[in-house]
Amino acid sequence: MTNVSPGRGRRWSDLLHLPTLLVLLAVGLVWEALSRRYGAYILPSPVSVLAGIGGILRSGDLWRHTGASLYRILIGFGSALTLALFMGFLTSLWRPARTVVHDVVTILNSTSVFVWIVVSLIWFGLTDLAPMFTTFMITLPVLAANIVEGVENVDRRLLEMGQVYRLSGPERFRAIIIPSTLPYLVAGMKVGFGLALKVSVVAEIFGVTSGIGYIMNYSREILATQMVFVWALVMIGIMLVTDKLIFEGISRRVMRWQYSLKSSRWARPT
Amino acid sequence: MAVQLEVFKVGKTYLIPVLDGVSFEVGEGEFVCLLGPNGCGKTTLLRIISGLEVPTVGHVRLDGQEVRPGAQNHVGMVFQEDRLLPWMSLEDNVALVLNPLGLEGVERQAAARRYLRFVGLQGFEEYYPLKVSGGMRQRAAIARALAVEPGLLLMDEPFASLDAQNRRIMQEEVKRIWAETGKTILFVTHSIEEAVAIGTSLIMFTARPARVRERIANNGKHDSREVIERLNSMIMEEVLRQP
Ligand SMILES: Nc1ncnc2c1ncn2[C@@H]1O[C@H](COP(=O)(O)OP(=O)(O)OP(=O)(O)O)[C@@H](O)[C@H]1O
Ligand SMILES: [Mg+2]
Repeated sequence: MTNVSPGRGRRWSDLLHLPTLLVLLAVGLVWEALSRRYGAYILPSPVSVLAGIGGILRSGDLWRHTGASLYRILIGFGSALTLALFMGFLTSLWRPARTVVHDVVTILNSTSVFVWIVVSLIWFGLTDLAPMFTTFMITLPVLAANIVEGVENVDRRLLEMGQVYRLSGPERFRAIIIPSTLPYLVAGMKVGFGLALKVSVVAEIFGVTSGIGYIMNYSREILATQMVFVWALVMIGIMLVTDKLIFEGISRRVMRWQYSLKSSRWARPT
Repeated sequence: MAVQLEVFKVGKTYLIPVLDGVSFEVGEGEFVCLLGPNGCGKTTLLRIISGLEVPTVGHVRLDGQEVRPGAQNHVGMVFQEDRLLPWMSLEDNVALVLNPLGLEGVERQAAARRYLRFVGLQGFEEYYPLKVSGGMRQRAAIARALAVEPGLLLMDEPFASLDAQNRRIMQEEVKRIWAETGKTILFVTHSIEEAVAIGTSLIMFTARPARVRERIANNGKHDSREVIERLNSMIMEEVLRQP
């Protein structure tokens, strides 16, 4: 987690990632050269990929498949988050639950994505549920591990303070345990969402007829290699947008006390 | 003077004996300073008095009632570190501990502001703890301890992390608070000069396992330089005796 104050003091060249842009330009040139050498089936030219992006924007395919993928991710990831939060809550109430969660996380973490894809195909067949379940099983250990780590790392000295001042259980939970666990939760969600996007797309290759994974595989089958590249770029775009807009925003909000001077509440009783 | 706190033959053993039959009484409105070499068990004693820890033997009575973890002990505690919640403004930190007292939200905030003003923090109510100085955080911790209007105020080396200047200021502040509120205060310190400057009664512990070695009234009848010298030679003996 970075604690730099946002926005302020950054130069425009840093903001635009100028060196990265230069590298990208170079890559584009090499790419074009290689494309001419090996042909559009192996490596479509950058121009045809750009044209492909324009195409899916116009046809609405972009929103249809992105929407389908995001919907499945949100269900799978959301259920995993719910269960992980519940596990965190349990471990905060009852210490022995930690060992159980640790062991479950270790087992889930050592299970390959492919296992879940195959198992979910057997259980749920060619339905939406298959990618959702795969996403769920893959993101659950990441989320649970982070939340439980957060709960474990609550400063004991602050808990003692709550005890001396006779705070009730719910008050300790709200004022001490939740705020100190939040940064871990946000970090876990960030990593978990990235995983969810990567994994659900793989799961979509099988059985479903929408989603980024499906359309990528379909494009390959109809020999439209440029569309494979287009959808890969779309995935990168989704990743960047959620990271920069959603998770950075949330983590700034959660860690506000580290870099802002005053607490700002709207409804302050006077 | 009514006895408010009774520490009776309190012993505590972890792996080694830490407290070994500590007995003393504190009258209402006294300002008692506890002195003793490093690691002799002063913090352990305060933790027992605050109900955070159970004595192995003996007991502690506060206002005639035995102190037990989870019981309704009414003490305010200033820890060596401020132990403020970093994600809450100073005002909310103080208001939080008023929750169990059954005050309304508005009253809580008003009381919190009143006590912050009392320790000289007006204008900083909405600041986050990390954005004020260490001395100010320690003041806020004192405001929090006072705000619950405890019968007994426990302070465990509250100024240990302050520079000499701030330390002197805070000593004056605590003395003023004591004079204005008439609270009973138990104050752990390593500085003999500090103890003699602010306490009405000084208790010197032996090296671990701690017993009360001597209790000295500090009511101005003795020359304070003499008292300081005596305490200095006592603590020297105790430190040398340490295993
Ligand atoms: N929870 C614990 N488990 C085991 N030993 C402990 C525990 N708490 C304290 N001790 C031991 O008890 C002894 C006294 O510790 P304590 O913190 O009460 O000393 P102190 O007088 O406050 O020292 P200082 O002046 O350095 O603050 C130490 O030797 C310490 O190691
Ligand atoms: Mg101590």
